[in-house]
Amino acid sequence: MHVKKYLVKCLHRLQKGPGYTYKELLVWYCNNTNTHGPKRIICEGPKKKAMWFVLTLLFASLVFWQWGVFIKTYLSWKVSVSLSIGFKNMDFPAVTICNASPFQYSKVKHLLKDLDELMEAVLERILAPEPGHANATRALNFTIWNHTPLVLIDERDPHHPVVLDLFGDNYNGSASSSPAPGSICNGQGCKVAMRLCSRNGTTCTFQNFTSATQAVTEWYVLQATNVFSQVPRKELMKMGYPSERLILACLFGAEPCNHRNFTSIFYPDYGNCYIFNWGMTDKILPSANPGAESGLKLVLDIGQEDYVPFLTSTAGARLMLHEQKSYPFIKDEGIYAMAGTETSIGVMVDKLERKGKPYSQCTMNGSDVPIRNLYSSYNTTYSIQACLRSCFQDHMIQNCSCGHYLYPLPRGKRYCNNHDFPDWAFCYSALRMSLKQRETCISQCSESCSDTKYKMTISMAEWPSESSEDWIFHVLSQERDQSANITISRKGIVKLNIYFQEFNYRTIEESPATNVVWLLSNLGGQFGFWMGGSVLCLIEFGEIIIDFLWITVIKLVAFARSLRQRQAGARYAGPPPTVAELVGAHTNFSFQPDVDDRGSDTGGYADGQTMPIPGTPPPNYDSLRLQPLDIIESDSEGDAI
Amino acid sequence: MAPGEKIKAKIKKNLPVTGPQAPTLTDLMRWYCLNTNTHGCRRIIVSRGRLRRLLWILFTLTAVALIFWQCALLVLSFYTVSVSIKVHFQKLDFPAVTICNINPYKYSVVKDLLSDLEQETRGALKTLFGLSEVKSRKRREAESWHAAWEGIRPKFINSVPLLIFDQEARSPVARDFFTGRKRKVSGSVIHKASDIMHVHQSQQVVGFKLCSNDTSDCATYTFSSGVNAIQEWYKLHYMNIMAQVPLEKKINMSYSAEELLVTCFFDGMSCDARNFTLFHHPMHGNCYTFNSPINDTVLSTSMGGSEYGLQVILYINEEEYNPFLVSSTGAKVIVHEQDEYPFIEDVGTEIETAMATSIGMHLTESFKLSEPYSQCTEDGKDVPITNIYNTSYSLQICLHSCFQAKMVEKCGCAQYSQPLPKGANYCNYQQHPNWMYCYYKLQQSFVREELGCQAVCREACSFKEWTLTTSLAQWPSEVSEKWLLSVLTWDQGQEINKKLNKTDLAKLLIFYKDLNHRSVVENPDNTIPNLLSNFGGQLGLWLSCSVVCVIEIFEVFFIDSLSIITRRWWQKAKEWWRLASSDWTQKQAQARHLLPRLEPKSKEHSDRGREPEELAS
Repeated sequence: MHVKKYLVKCLHRLQKGPGYTYKELLVWYCNNTNTHGPKRIICEGPKKKAMWFVLTLLFASLVFWQWGVFIKTYLSWKVSVSLSIGFKNMDFPAVTICNASPFQYSKVKHLLKDLDELMEAVLERILAPEPGHANATRALNFTIWNHTPLVLIDERDPHHPVVLDLFGDNYNGSASSSPAPGSICNGQGCKVAMRLCSRNGTTCTFQNFTSATQAVTEWYVLQATNVFSQVPRKELMKMGYPSERLILACLFGAEPCNHRNFTSIFYPDYGNCYIFNWGMTDKILPSANPGAESGLKLVLDIGQEDYVPFLTSTAGARLMLHEQKSYPFIKDEGIYAMAGTETSIGVMVDKLERKGKPYSQCTMNGSDVPIRNLYSSYNTTYSIQACLRSCFQDHMIQNCSCGHYLYPLPRGKRYCNNHDFPDWAFCYSALRMSLKQRETCISQCSESCSDTKYKMTISMAEWPSESSEDWIFHVLSQERDQSANITISRKGIVKLNIYFQEFNYRTIEESPATNVVWLLSNLGGQFGFWMGGSVLCLIEFGEIIIDFLWITVIKLVAFARSLRQRQAGARYAGPPPTVAELVGAHTNFSFQPDVDDRGSDTGGYADGQTMPIPGTPPPNYDSLRLQPLDIIESDSEGDAI
Repeated sequence: MAPGEKIKAKIKKNLPVTGPQAPTLTDLMRWYCLNTNTHGCRRIIVSRGRLRRLLWILFTLTAVALIFWQCALLVLSFYTVSVSIKVHFQKLDFPAVTICNINPYKYSVVKDLLSDLEQETRGALKTLFGLSEVKSRKRREAESWHAAWEGIRPKFINSVPLLIFDQEARSPVARDFFTGRKRKVSGSVIHKASDIMHVHQSQQVVGFKLCSNDTSDCATYTFSSGVNAIQEWYKLHYMNIMAQVPLEKKINMSYSAEELLVTCFFDGMSCDARNFTLFHHPMHGNCYTFNSPINDTVLSTSMGGSEYGLQVILYINEEEYNPFLVSSTGAKVIVHEQDEYPFIEDVGTEIETAMATSIGMHLTESFKLSEPYSQCTEDGKDVPITNIYNTSYSLQICLHSCFQAKMVEKCGCAQYSQPLPKGANYCNYQQHPNWMYCYYKLQQSFVREELGCQAVCREACSFKEWTLTTSLAQWPSEVSEKWLLSVLTWDQGQEINKKLNKTDLAKLLIFYKDLNHRSVVENPDNTIPNLLSNFGGQLGLWLSCSVVCVIEIFEVFFIDSLSIITRRWWQKAKEWWRLASSDWTQKQAQARHLLPRLEPKSKEHSDRGREPEELAS
């Protein structure tokens, strides 16, 4: 009912024309608004009026500009950083320990027998110690050799480098009893290179090395990878250093621990690695005090005499501190601990907590990264290292159709070996050198939002001291091997102390620099500062705009109607109104020219003329009607919009 | 009253009184308080009762005071910064790595230059400490040891005598160890650094005496240990000798890149001596910089880990070491920016032989805001010290340049271990006989910050810092030692004609631990919009005021009040003038009688002046 009444009112208003003019509306607004400027425009003299008008416009534009600045700042999602430093009871980091040599040579000897013999022969050929001694040719397994041979490039004449095969059987056709090429020139004149061929030798590349040491090492590692990739994981783990052989003594705070407190993990570069306090099965151990006494103390034996001689040239223990439940990428982030020394490591946890999207491009748990995390089979958390390696393995499988031995395998794939994938070495070295592959991986992987680093302060001292070494070695040998012989020596023993420093954490936490409250208070501050306005003022303004529109609509309607009537008037064939009629219309309100009335009673008058709106007869808007404005106003005062 | 006037009066009564037309200041204030947009003032006028009015005045004034206070705080804290720490994971530029042998020159080559000095040093050691036979591991030139002291006229001892001091005596008595006679110490005795640390010295201390030109002003430097004294004394003379040797000769005397670097491996690729740039350091001889800006492509790493970093094996020949100048064996390495000067003696990391040193890097970049937020400098152009190094600015460069400039200014020659400023020479005895004294004095005042260098030099605004984690491992391992050494010997070929020992070699691995790099950036805490909106908040909170109100206040209190006051003065003056001119001869009493009538008249006048405007509106 109300709605109907309201609509009728609207209709009448439409028919009658606007109740206010624009100017009146503006004046009313300026007089009654709560913003400070407009009022002044109204109530001052003409000069000040102009000044205040300019000022108000200026301030309004300033306000809008500043609002723009603030909204832009808000949408840039800035963060502010808070830093806290101190000591608190924290979880002791997970400690991963490996031996630098992945396997015990005594246990892998049968696998590497052919390769080692070949390697020795190669070294002999390169170094050419004494003629005659080298001629003791053994039954060498040349199948490995022919796959990826090493060659000697004679560069003494820089324009015509001569490629010499080390065993000299394929290229110059001479017998293997030819003089060892190493005797012709040495490291300054000749370079050792690795020949990598694909598709049965159709395309070959030489991978050059500036030193023979690198060439030989790289070649051996490549061949060893091939050997080990054909051995199942379980057997590889048996060939590595067992925990009871590696870990001799363990003390955490005041509590003794032993090799059973370590979780074993197979890391292809270093064989068996052992993780203390990984938090996968056991409860995470906290450390409540700073200093070496409440940290982890370990004694290890790296057994240097059992190292694989050509595979690793560096002797020591590898060690890494990392977060619980994260995979240790020990080759990248690990440090060495030297045999015969005590290495003390003071730890400070450097943690960075970031806001995720939209503040930065980090990922909370790696679920939104387009690369499948191959390390998730270890039940570890996401890290960018894991992502990069998974990405590399993906590329490897796409390009070479087999997986690299150093990285985990996706389901249903196999590791590369010479037998099944003859050109994998060529493919792998091309992929490894390719910058494009690395860049795509970097762009696809995103870093994780919380990033924990362990800052280490490392110091070393000789251990055991000369006066104490006798009894220490005796006790440790007795415990491990139950024999009276001393099986442990200075060359293998490593002591480690890992403990929290006096300040054990430094946390950098991000928080949003701007939020909605900040935005609103700044917007309010600007509006208030320049114009003394508030949200209510904005609503007022909106109201005025609606009024304006309403007036415009009414005016448009009236204009359309007058246009139509003028059209109708043009078609009217009768005589034009006389002067008397017009004068009468002007002076006498009750007098109407009878032209308009004709449309309502007789239909035959004008055939094309549209019918006026039925119902209450609308007031007539004659183009010539000059009516004083205030009369319309006075009758429409009650229902002014 | 006529009906017209009546209407007019009525209109006048209803119309608001506008500002400048107000007849008196009280009216103006009243008008202002009633019409202003601020809140407090209106309440003062509107409230009834004296106490209430007083309270409102108090409140308003407090609010105004609070606004001023808070806004002052806002302005004062405008130049504060907030720090943001960002972590990026991206391809990183590998830094420049400079590697030096600790020993500057091959001893066999420089021996000719230093033979006199060596003999004197040995002689001094013999007399001072009774050392007669050297049981050096490697050195076998003992014959010169015995012949050290015969028939040479010592020139080095004469110029800077080594002395033994007897502290027992009440007045310090020095014994010249060469002649054996005692002599009174004249001048000041300066115990080296003893003004910082009070060391209980043994009875006998060793030192040396430095005198200025006319030998009247002498300073004696003593050391708590003879080792330091001998080394310092040797170094002084050594610098003096080397300062006279031309650079090309010095470069030839030092190690070549092929000699120092046995193998090199970067990012899975072989590299060799050509990838290294020579950099001659006065105290460390030939140093070699990997990835220097000279070959203009800067190498970068796109993988973390030791495999993808720089791996070098260095050859360090201990037999060529200078026994008095350096007492440790190995190499020094420094990681720095491409256009940064490597201060290898200040911040280098030492590398041991027969070891693999693995250095994991972590990059942190820092950007500070310069003026007016802090005192740092963007490129050093606004620091009044000329950079004598041909590299980008850093605080250390500035300090060294400043010292060198002072040295040239005060002593007339430049110190050997730093580059030469324009138009200066290195110090030596022939031309500057007393430079050592000057140098020591200058260094002392530099350490005590008396030269003003520390005040003038400012830190750089942006810098890169590589945090290094160094760990050691045995290399080569026992089982691999045999084959590795023979292959390395083959690699070296004719460069060295001997079989390498493992103590001649050092392995160095420098790599990025991961490609995360942190940048610490300072941002302005406040911007102008921020400040304004804070002002707005304060003004709005206490008084509901805005800039419009401020303009209003300005308008009312300055323009309108002043105009009212001037108008009244003008009218008074006019009245006085009229009176004075119309009746110059009238008595003063009459004039005084007229004055009280002035006020209503002026009121009427101002009313009349306002009429046309009122009607217009």
